[in-house]
Amino acid sequence: MSAETGIEKRFFFKRRTWILLLSLVLFLPPLSLLFQFTQDSSFCGSWCPRMFFVWRRGETAGTLLFGMARSYMGVALVLGAVASTFFLGRFWCSHVCPVGGVSELGSWLIPAAFKLRLDSVPAASVRYGYLAAYLLLPALGLGSLCCGYCNFATVPRLFGAPFSDADMAFFFRSAGVVNLGLLVGLGFLTKGGRGYCNLLCPVGALDALSSCFGERFGRRVRVDEECCSGCGRCRDECPVWAIDVDKKAGIDQLSCIPCGMCAKVCPEHAIGYGLKTKTAEERVPAVPSYALTGQNGKDLAA
Amino acid sequence: MKAKSILFFLLAVAASFFAASYRWGDSAHSIGLIKASGGTARHASVLASGEGTYTLIATAAVIPPYRGDARVVLEGEPRIDHAIYLSGPVVDLGLRRNPKLRDNVIHGLQPRDRIALWVVMKPPMTDPVCGAPYRDGFFGVSHEGRDYVFCCRRCAQAFSLDPERYWNNIGVRGRYQLAFYDTKTNRPVLSVPVEFQGKEKAGDECGDRH
Repeated sequence: MSAETGIEKRFFFKRRTWILLLSLVLFLPPLSLLFQFTQDSSFCGSWCPRMFFVWRRGETAGTLLFGMARSYMGVALVLGAVASTFFLGRFWCSHVCPVGGVSELGSWLIPAAFKLRLDSVPAASVRYGYLAAYLLLPALGLGSLCCGYCNFATVPRLFGAPFSDADMAFFFRSAGVVNLGLLVGLGFLTKGGRGYCNLLCPVGALDALSSCFGERFGRRVRVDEECCSGCGRCRDECPVWAIDVDKKAGIDQLSCIPCGMCAKVCPEHAIGYGLKTKTAEERVPAVPSYALTGQNGKDLAA
Repeated sequence: MKAKSILFFLLAVAASFFAASYRWGDSAHSIGLIKASGGTARHASVLASGEGTYTLIATAAVIPPYRGDARVVLEGEPRIDHAIYLSGPVVDLGLRRNPKLRDNVIHGLQPRDRIALWVVMKPPMTDPVCGAPYRDGFFGVSHEGRDYVFCCRRCAQAFSLDPERYWNNIGVRGRYQLAFYDTKTNRPVLSVPVEFQGKEKAGDECGDRH
């Protein structure tokens, strides 16, 4: 049940493409406006959002904290994203993240006939399998997925490569080519363009956990089951294959990003954004135990 | 459905394990400290011999009180063709000071600066038998679709008698060093060991003086 609101009229849903484009200007070359104020000119170094929460074998608490201090902008970014997601939903992923934005906007340029559908892949299983390995392997000293396979390194360098030899050098390596392949294969060439985000982004995986835990308390994209006809058009439109339709549509908050594309195609206007309202059963207050008391508080039934 | 989810979870863990433990031989990342008294890298950067192009990403932080300009040199024999690039804003709006790289010298290093250098290296081909780097006078032989260079007929003959032994010995081996020297004092402020490792050892005697 949802507190129904017209998604299509809300600024953040109506203007999502423009917000994503603004985010590209803020975070990506050639301008990288936000990075102009700090020493690091990309998501590496102080802006790294991926490494600070990974503990490596042999690392002391002090070293871990030092790493967090070094990546202070990345820490702020991730904590801000996770906290806002708890209350408002995954707007970082759907509206702000330039990496996901590029992958989604890029996929719009590819004809539908060339795109892969990943709907049959259980996204949460792959995502948390990847996250488990991402956290455990460095802790066990068996390797690392942090820098070698980093979407936050690949996308900015893809934009910087035409202008900068240093960014171009990123792609002279096998690892650079593999990263580019992942971005193209799981991003540009997938339906909706969010395959990489949905399967292999550790920041997105943490953000999705916050979305799931905060589902009862925060605002989310929700389906009004009374209005839903179960036509399935929302499922076909969802870029992160978060909607399942049995008789009615249901949204998996562990995968949903509030892009609002499902609401735009819903012929019944059954999808809205808002707080979870209580079901009829939950709305009935617990009945207090029966008691008859007089004015002086004396139990008359006794 | 539950079985499918568990299967995909395990597949994701296995694929991630493979990806995380696989080491690309053509690139390495070093982390070091630039110090007036001579800084070092956290560990040697290991590269696999036999590749055509290599990329070393050398990141370093400047430890106070060092400030100055540092010349960057790739040291070792045989000489490797290389280009050095410094990461920086594509469009610099001048809102913040950034060290600049000109002619392999990093200008304007100050305490607490962090730099990221991209060193793209193209080592020469070597004689697979004696390990001598390619120069004028060498001659080429193609074997099973792969090109080899030899300094003399004796090396070519040794190769043709036992190609299995030498087939993978076409790249440089051994230790190099990416060294940073302060331009005023000429003292090293950072040394990054770079090691080219091969599966087999080259360096059999061919009788020629190289």
